[in-house]
Amino acid sequence: MIVLAMDSSTSACSAALWAEGKVLARRLSPMARGQSEALMPMVAEVMAEAGLSFADVGLLAVTVGPGAFTGLRIGLAAARGLALAGGLKLAGVATPAAVALGVPEGERQGRNVLVAIDSRRDELWLQLFDSALKPLSPIRALRPEQAGELAAGPVVVAGDAAALVLPHLPHAAASAAPGHPDAALVAELAAEQWSRGESLPPEPLYLRDADVTLPGKTVSEKTVSEKTGP
Amino acid sequence: MLVLGIESSCDETAAAVVNDRREILGEVVLSQLDEHRPFGGVVPEIAARSHLAHLDRLVAEAMRRAGLGFADLDGVAATGGPGLIGGVIVGVMTGKAIALASGKPFLAVNHLEGHALTPRLTHDIGFPYLLLLASGGHCQLLAVEGVGRYTRLGTTIDDAAGEAFDKVAKMAGLGYPGGPAVEKAAAGGDPARFALPRPMKGKPGCDFSFSGLKNAARLLIESLPQPLAEQDQADVARAFQDAVADSMADRVRRGAREMKSRWPAARHLVVAGGVAANAALRQVLLRIGNETGLEFLAPPLKLCTDNAAMIAWAGIERLRLGQSDDLSFAPRPRWPLDPNARKGAPNTWKGAKA
Ligand SMILES: Nc1ncnc2c1ncn2[C@@H]1O[C@H](COP(=O)(O)OP(=O)(O)OP(=O)(O)O)[C@@H](O)[C@H]1O
Ligand SMILES: [Mg+2]
Repeated sequence: MIVLAMDSSTSACSAALWAEGKVLARRLSPMARGQSEALMPMVAEVMAEAGLSFADVGLLAVTVGPGAFTGLRIGLAAARGLALAGGLKLAGVATPAAVALGVPEGERQGRNVLVAIDSRRDELWLQLFDSALKPLSPIRALRPEQAGELAAGPVVVAGDAAALVLPHLPHAAASAAPGHPDAALVAELAAEQWSRGESLPPEPLYLRDADVTLPGKTVSEKTVSEKTGP
Repeated sequence: MLVLGIESSCDETAAAVVNDRREILGEVVLSQLDEHRPFGGVVPEIAARSHLAHLDRLVAEAMRRAGLGFADLDGVAATGGPGLIGGVIVGVMTGKAIALASGKPFLAVNHLEGHALTPRLTHDIGFPYLLLLASGGHCQLLAVEGVGRYTRLGTTIDDAAGEAFDKVAKMAGLGYPGGPAVEKAAAGGDPARFALPRPMKGKPGCDFSFSGLKNAARLLIESLPQPLAEQDQADVARAFQDAVADSMADRVRRGAREMKSRWPAARHLVVAGGVAANAALRQVLLRIGNETGLEFLAPPLKLCTDNAAMIAWAGIERLRLGQSDDLSFAPRPRWPLDPNARKGAPNTWKGAKA
């Protein structure tokens, strides 16, 4: 099955075509903003490079967060538009799981994996996986100093907020993996989850209520700290 | 020629399919009014979330109503700005994706251009014409010379007209959105009881101003027993609406004269934006049209407020001229129609617009 995957959920933008363990084409650029400009040209480029049309795509995959709200909407709006017009099946992939898959096997030996994602608030999004990348916790919103509650033992830390939690974890090592998802790995994960019937719906995991801010004034700010996701 | 249009720049999520024979083949609009009502204004993050949650389904529904498949289209147009950027991004990404998946050109349409070209969707008229755009975020007089060719003759130097209606309604306890509530209350109001200022009346040029009037209305409201009795509400609403209409009459009259002298071929005065719903204002515009020799045209109300048919139509107008946009188009929170107009466009309660 050919999988087309996209990610714009954190501080990067990527698109990839993948089939049966092989990456057919891939584009990836780290970027804090500008994904709304970069993403569709990347998709067009990987399709052209692989010489494929949308009719050849068996599954479309997109990261659903948690992450930057605007980035989530960029990826999901694009994915839902492609799925609608291309008649494609669409699978959501959680961002922490995609980041965890980027941690090399050697780093995981005998250690759990903690993924820390920037939420642009005091609390980060954290999720713990075992060395085989099976989730050991839901996605939780915690402050950096609370990371020890989740990861007491030996752990390797990945994600774009890894540097914020490392000082609070005495038994932790920093992963050499990039802090952001890679669409090629999103594709791999999506194929696996799809075959097991475990895909997420193509809906954003905001995990926090909307800030009720009118331009120019803040009416109130509701932050839901202990909402958990898959 | 068939174009799908997508609109998501404020608090309406909309999709429509239009052809170049000026027919709207399928159309859906979903208002977010109830989601924002508790906050008395449009909350950007709530709006962005809601656009994403509904847009793909609305596009599918518009296509179904038109009885068409994506392969039948000649282009996909989405509002590219100005507006609340979170919503604009959702529409732009959806439009780009549909265009790419169906192999059609993508068009990023200026929302204001959508409003400005609407009279050519509803009526078979040529350029140039004079447009009054009076909405929640804008109040401008524009000479529409051609597709992509606009000269701004005047603009509000502070609040938009619709914004003033909304704020005065809120202060008077008339609810949200304010325009329709003020008009309804004003119908039972005494025009002689209160007098409010006529901003800009008699001043050179044709700029608008509503914030002084709004503040005068505030002082008037505060001088009355609280909460306002129904008759007080009605009389305040009437005084405010009369003041807006009178001020607009003066401004539009000057704009119409300038239009006639600079573009003698102009035949029409057209209105767009939600404030065009106001019957008293329509009366004023009709009168000024008669006075100045411009035929007054008002598109049906659903095409005056935010809608996707106008975006599809602007897409058709541009596509006919061989224009389209790259998939790398960057959504634009600000996007003035007349780039040469002097700076100083106001920041409205909906954010800086154009
Ligand atoms: N009957 C009426 N009288 C006066 N104003 C009205 C009336 N009906 C609606 N309005 C006003 O029109 C505005 C809404 O119009 P519209 O939907 O065109 O604006 P918008 O799309 O929110 O703003 P923009 O296009 O500038 O982003 C509101 O401010 C509303 O109060
Ligand atoms: Mg509008």
